[in-house]
Amino acid sequence: MKLPDAVWGVWSVWRRYFSVFVKSIIYYLVSSFVEPLLYLLAFGVGVGSLIGTLQVGGVRLSYRSFIFSGIIAQTALFQGFFEGAYGAFVRMYYQRIFQSIAITPITLSEVLWGELIWDASKATLAAELVALIGVLTRDFPPVSLLTLLPVCFLSSLLFAGMGLAAAAYSRSIDELSYPQYLLVFPMFLFCGVFYPVEDLPRALQPVAWIFPLTLVNSLVRTLTLGLPFQRGAVAIALVWLVASVGVARRAMTRRLVK
Amino acid sequence: MPSAAPLSVVHLIKRYHQRSGGDLEAVSDISLEVAAGECFGLLGPNGSGKTTTIKCISGFYPPSQGQVFVAGYDVHLRPKLARQFLGLCDQEETLDSDFNVFDQLVRHASYFRIPSPVAKERAQALLEQFGLSEKAREPIESLSGGLKRRLQVARALISEPRVLVLDEPTTGLDPDARRTVWEVLAQARSRGVAILLSTHYMEEAQRLCDRAAILHKGRILDVDSPARLIAEHIDREVVEEEVRPGVIWSRAPNLEDVYLKLTGSRLGVDGL
Repeated sequence: MKLPDAVWGVWSVWRRYFSVFVKSIIYYLVSSFVEPLLYLLAFGVGVGSLIGTLQVGGVRLSYRSFIFSGIIAQTALFQGFFEGAYGAFVRMYYQRIFQSIAITPITLSEVLWGELIWDASKATLAAELVALIGVLTRDFPPVSLLTLLPVCFLSSLLFAGMGLAAAAYSRSIDELSYPQYLLVFPMFLFCGVFYPVEDLPRALQPVAWIFPLTLVNSLVRTLTLGLPFQRGAVAIALVWLVASVGVARRAMTRRLVK
Repeated sequence: MPSAAPLSVVHLIKRYHQRSGGDLEAVSDISLEVAAGECFGLLGPNGSGKTTTIKCISGFYPPSQGQVFVAGYDVHLRPKLARQFLGLCDQEETLDSDFNVFDQLVRHASYFRIPSPVAKERAQALLEQFGLSEKAREPIESLSGGLKRRLQVARALISEPRVLVLDEPTTGLDPDARRTVWEVLAQARSRGVAILLSTHYMEEAQRLCDRAAILHKGRILDVDSPARLIAEHIDREVVEEEVRPGVIWSRAPNLEDVYLKLTGSRLGVDGL
């Protein structure tokens, strides 16, 4: 079967990333998976045994289950954002890979789709690994591995878009620290990974619900722990997804093409 | 109308929006054609529009006006098709440092949908031609600047293009490596490849180019064979130049004299 040209272009770019990934598989396994595993251990087992159980959205569950599912969303955020931000900045600015591929029959538009879809694939893999651990510890039902797949992928794509947009707007690699400290870390700490958003001061709750990590957390917990489904969260998350991918592609194209 | 030439640039104009406001016209109405087996030189000082012209030829920058045809296809309307016939070596280093020397070439070929066995065969042959065979399994970082440059020129040839565009291909090369590149370009020409190259080295242009265009401030000031450019612009048989205090060299006029006369802001040699 012969793929349509544009799809084939994106696929070729994705394959390039994948073969780099396979070549340095040990490095990638360590850099992608060790971090979420450390969080799982520290917060799930450590803090989890201190707290015991908690009541969220009318459901009683162990803190370990709660935090495990939070780490799934956090992994999509970190892996997606950092690959899209630092990884893509290096590829665009230092290696000039975008420029060298986008003068072949593959267009810049396809290169950027390949970049985003790869970033999201890698983050999805890491997030699913966290989910797998949750299934093995019987915190999540096995079927959640399947249902999580589209949610993890689209959230990772959203966060990768944020990262790529940041890379496009950063003049130097140091400037990527701004979105990292002003957006990613605050989301990590205040958007429901470690404690339910309902425990935030009442005035802050609507603010937290604007940020995509809260939305993703809510979706992931519906799928893994059976917490109530928030229809609005999906709608806002989709808006974020379209916006972040759109802005990233536009900004990166404008940066490279005069 | 696209001409039959492998590369044709038709009334190309490129304007940039400047941060300070206003537009800068980097390329002002350039037209040129490169025939099969011809080597065409773009000569001009930094900022004369060479690289911008090349970025428009590769389809990376959209032109403000005008068109570029590669193998008869408009490179902006049909980039995927046109670039199937285009090999390009950028001025900047754009090697993919995640792959070693050999894999680099094979990977690049994959973007042209060239099957891997064919790509491997070609990569091997190219590395041999460019004297890089011993480095095949080396990482890119281990190569010197000159070797990287050679590899990047080799990479532009992996798709067996009909049009080869090189932006300062020999900058930073030692004389030996430069000759290697010249030989490879000569071979490509004999196969009918149309070559467009920009260079600062007038000796190189004089040696390689059938025709050369002298570019200044985005315009082609003159275009002809190097010999005719010299005959037309330098009306003397011998040029005398004081190369060191008290040391005067007499020599035949060359392309550099033409270049300096047409583009130079400073006074030409001996008031040419």
